[in-house]
Amino acid sequence: MSITFSNNIEALIFISLFLTIVPWAEKIFEYNGSAIVAMVGKNCFAIASDRRLGVQLQTVATDFQRIYKIHDKLYIGLAGLATDAQTLHQRLVFRHNLYQLREERNMKPETFASLVSAVLYEKRFGPYFCQPVIAGLGEKDEPFICTMDSIGAKELAKDFVVGGTASESLYGACESMYKPNMEPEELFETISQALLASVDRDCLSGWGGHVIVVTPTEVTERKLKGRMD
Amino acid sequence: MGDSQYSFSLTTFSPSGKLVQIEHALMAVGSGQTSLGIKAANGVVIATEKKLPSILVDETSVRKIQLLTEDIGVVYSGMGPDSRVLVRKSRKQAQQYFRLYKEKIPVTQLVRETATVMQEFTQSGGVRPFGVSLLVAGYDDVDGPQLYQVDPSGSYFSWKASAMGKNVSNAKTFLEKRYTDDMELEDAIHTAILTLKEGYLNSSFLLINVRFDESLFEHNR
Amino acid sequence: MSKATVELPPKGGFNFDLCRRNDMLTKNGVHAPSFLKTGTTIVGLVFQDGVVLGADTRATEGPIVADKNCEKIHYMAPNIYCCGAGTAADTENVTDMISSQLLLHRYATGRESRVVTALTLLKTHLFGYQGHVSAALVLGGVDITGPHLHTIYPHGSTDTLPFATMGSGSLAAMAIFESKYREGLTFNLVYCAFVEIPQRDEGVKLVTEAICSGIFNDLGSGSNVDVCVITKGKVEYLRNHQKPNPRTYISSKGFSFLKGQTEVLSTKVTLLEKPQQEEGVDKMEE
Repeated sequence: MSITFSNNIEALIFISLFLTIVPWAEKIFEYNGSAIVAMVGKNCFAIASDRRLGVQLQTVATDFQRIYKIHDKLYIGLAGLATDAQTLHQRLVFRHNLYQLREERNMKPETFASLVSAVLYEKRFGPYFCQPVIAGLGEKDEPFICTMDSIGAKELAKDFVVGGTASESLYGACESMYKPNMEPEELFETISQALLASVDRDCLSGWGGHVIVVTPTEVTERKLKGRMD
Repeated sequence: MGDSQYSFSLTTFSPSGKLVQIEHALMAVGSGQTSLGIKAANGVVIATEKKLPSILVDETSVRKIQLLTEDIGVVYSGMGPDSRVLVRKSRKQAQQYFRLYKEKIPVTQLVRETATVMQEFTQSGGVRPFGVSLLVAGYDDVDGPQLYQVDPSGSYFSWKASAMGKNVSNAKTFLEKRYTDDMELEDAIHTAILTLKEGYLNSSFLLINVRFDESLFEHNR
Repeated sequence: MSKATVELPPKGGFNFDLCRRNDMLTKNGVHAPSFLKTGTTIVGLVFQDGVVLGADTRATEGPIVADKNCEKIHYMAPNIYCCGAGTAADTENVTDMISSQLLLHRYATGRESRVVTALTLLKTHLFGYQGHVSAALVLGGVDITGPHLHTIYPHGSTDTLPFATMGSGSLAAMAIFESKYREGLTFNLVYCAFVEIPQRDEGVKLVTEAICSGIFNDLGSGSNVDVCVITKGKVEYLRNHQKPNPRTYISSKGFSFLKGQTEVLSTKVTLLEKPQQEEGVDKMEE
């Protein structure tokens, strides 16, 4: 990760610095740019994101991590403002660790989604500028995917969920490319093609992709090659 | 109030390392009406003697066994009013858990939270320990049917079968004789009633309240 | 150095930590994102011995359809349900929270919840937030005092009505109600005596029609019709009662990609261990 903030204050200074230099910023989601998508396959799921971190039109990093692991079979992608994404991720890890210690078990994806929703809604009147995409395998290895807005309104889907600045293109790509009950290999190709096609129509995300395919027995992480403009 | 010289904890260690207030609380439990619980293979039952101070009391107004959630019930021995405080707090705790995770609270978690409250009342200023022991019976998907006893000190144990209150040693001996690991719920209820009768054959009045809800434990383990 | 505070799970209530920063961002011309809304048509009507609630199933985020089949009829109590329009997170959380309070109230009183109790809890909450919690609700249920239907506005004002509509499609739906709802649905006892519970089916039909009117004439509403019929001691939740907008094509093969066509820079495979079953040790603590 090329830029790390040790706390929110530094991040704030970092942002305000750029805001004074480039005052025409529009939407906060468009500040860093992002594209995240998750898809359900047959007894498996895939979650993918782009790898760009930008400050508006300026690219800052091309190996940025937007998908975080919660446990072996549970991942969360955080689209939106990178500083908030990192802070939120830390808080979620904290809460998940507490849960693991207390209950001596991993969280079910559904439970984790509810937790994320509660954490976000707590800040209803001063939200984190993040859109989470959650994907995981449940206790009986049934796939679960979900997304929510920045104040925790859950949106459950059976097929695919998307998030980030490229979400409109992702909706289109997934809507046509997705089909049910894909095997892991085919799921990988489909989600990758949907991601790459979508980020090519979005200035603010891209620079390759990061795809994670999870089956009951193994996790396959791949870095994708994409356009570099 | 806070800085008053009397605001320190009433539970102070005696030179021999005991907390006498807690021992007194246990005495209050020991002289309370008998309650017992038995964990069966496909469910769990709690029962208590429901002896009323006078036949003029309307017995429908006395509820000694209460629900904390739809899958978890509790019975107490000791001071009734104290138990109400714990029941109210535990119900609220269960709801808080549900609001956060959209998932029913596991019995272990609820018992621990309840025990935590009881412990806090042995160490905080201006309060006294609870004069009750609780038997918490419940079912969850994690561990199936479970039975816990929580004492005024805040310590808790998981039991196959347990009793508390008056005649506790007789009841426990009886349960030890009758308990088997493969007991079904029907047997457990029968045993529970027998145990209560055993201790109270000579007593003048006997009412038994059995917690039993078939739909509750339909998911057999 | 920043203050090291131990963060504990919240006990409830909102947290305003980020408000100042977000205000600063807004002042600098950065706009906050839009929230998930339920553009929504929600309706309800009272009939002879119960209440029918109805809702569409579209969730929107600006002009984008975010969810094509979401649930807008929320559970409040076994005998009370509530349709929600407005900001999705608000309707969801407000109904969940009050539902929780109603349960505790039922435990404390040992009686079935009343619709007015739910109504009062909801309106006091919403009034307290002066409209900032943007939930517009249609609350319906049957209790000891009979069937009840109420609407609740985001600022906390309420109405008690025989038929009600809310959300962006409320006008379209109200047009149907105003033209077709008849008193007989509620009060024509003579009519009821001869035909076996016609009002229920009639009510469901009218509600469905009103929702469809919203679905087709209001762009914020769409997809399917959810219906919930509450009568004394019985609730029928008819999820996707009608699906007037099915996907019309389903390609048999769909897109197929040749395996290995995507350019991959690196691959990392991690094998997952089979979780070991822990021995069943009784948990104890002293």
